[in-house]
Amino acid sequence: METIIGYLNNMFAALPRTSQMLKLKQDLLASMEEKYYELKNDGKTENEAVGIVISEFGNIDELISELGIGQNYGEELLPFLSEDEAEGFVAAKKRTGLLIGFGVALCLIGTALLILFTTLAEEGSLGVSEDFGSMLGIISLTVLIVPAIGMFIYSGMKMEPYKHLQDGFQLTYQLKSYLQQKQKAFAPTYTLSLIMGVGLCVLSPIGMFVGSAFDGNVSTYGAAIMLLVVALAVFLLVYYGQIRESYTILLTTKEVTKAKKEEDRVIGAVAAIVWPLATCIFLISGLMFQQWQINWIVFPITGILFGMFSAVYNILKVKNNS
Amino acid sequence: MISSDVIRGYNDTLILYMLLERDSYGYEISKNIRTLSEEKYIMKETTLYSAFTRLEKNGYIHSFFKEEESFGKRRTYYRITPEGLMYYREKCAEWQVTQEVVNKFIKEL
Repeated sequence: METIIGYLNNMFAALPRTSQMLKLKQDLLASMEEKYYELKNDGKTENEAVGIVISEFGNIDELISELGIGQNYGEELLPFLSEDEAEGFVAAKKRTGLLIGFGVALCLIGTALLILFTTLAEEGSLGVSEDFGSMLGIISLTVLIVPAIGMFIYSGMKMEPYKHLQDGFQLTYQLKSYLQQKQKAFAPTYTLSLIMGVGLCVLSPIGMFVGSAFDGNVSTYGAAIMLLVVALAVFLLVYYGQIRESYTILLTTKEVTKAKKEEDRVIGAVAAIVWPLATCIFLISGLMFQQWQINWIVFPITGILFGMFSAVYNILKVKNNS
Repeated sequence: MISSDVIRGYNDTLILYMLLERDSYGYEISKNIRTLSEEKYIMKETTLYSAFTRLEKNGYIHSFFKEEESFGKRRTYYRITPEGLMYYREKCAEWQVTQEVVNKFIKEL
């Protein structure tokens, strides 16, 4: 009987929870239950009884069309997404998340090495000239950035086959409820990664606070450590963020996706300018003017301003839409 | 076994017939249809309940709860309305014509 209840719950999982729907589900369950016990009384085994009841259930889409909740069926005939495609998309997102996260982390590690080598050479701890130290830093930065760029390009290519998802698609109710279950199961992992990622970002300047209490270049090492911690944080945020996004993309309806996409595009474009700019200011003020003890402040300031911009843009956008 | 495609237009008629004599509930109706058709037609659960929804929306049947004395549990019962009876008669007349027409094209080979 458990199997039958589970089957019915699955069938109704993706349907709206109206009182009409709940009553219908109860009636169906009562009917199936009665059939099940009668079959058992007739001497059928558990498996046989469950098999017969489920095989005589029919097709849930028949009920859906009668209840008029499947309107999107008639209006727009979007292609159905197969289970393989959905699974493939989630897997590809996960893999590209790993690559992009790792790539961004490499860029940050490269920057940390640049700062580290330059400072070490300046202090003479490496026993090389300042120019050679800078060169070493730039070389290590390049060596790390090149594979990172390769990873970005490769991830872009990996996602190419799934471009058509943007044109809209629909899910069968079974697939939808399956994905919803997976999304729900992933939620705690995502929350944990978010807490850890943000926590690391917030804690990352500690090295510099401590360093600025000492003399000279100690806060510079703090800056390098900060970048390494941020690299780890960014990796966590990007990797788990991509997995989460794969479910969000599959489970949001087309109209929502469209508006959201436009919003993401604008915010993404602004982010692509603002963050590299902040990084430039950080590096120039640090490497040229030795302002490591204070210049990290550009990141929190950029973060706050950028957050404000996103929020305001969001609100204006919602207002326009309504 | 009859395919559900062939009988589609007459599921409602079958259900209304079952309600002519007395009120009934989902499982009993489906069981009686099976018995009466000599196991040649088994109405799927979703077919049955989408028919209930449609018939009730059109005012041909109305549903109510009834406590079962022996089980002590509540069942949804259905009762045919005067409109439902009228609709049933229409469908019967329609079937007579349909049968006549189709029969003209049926021959033993």
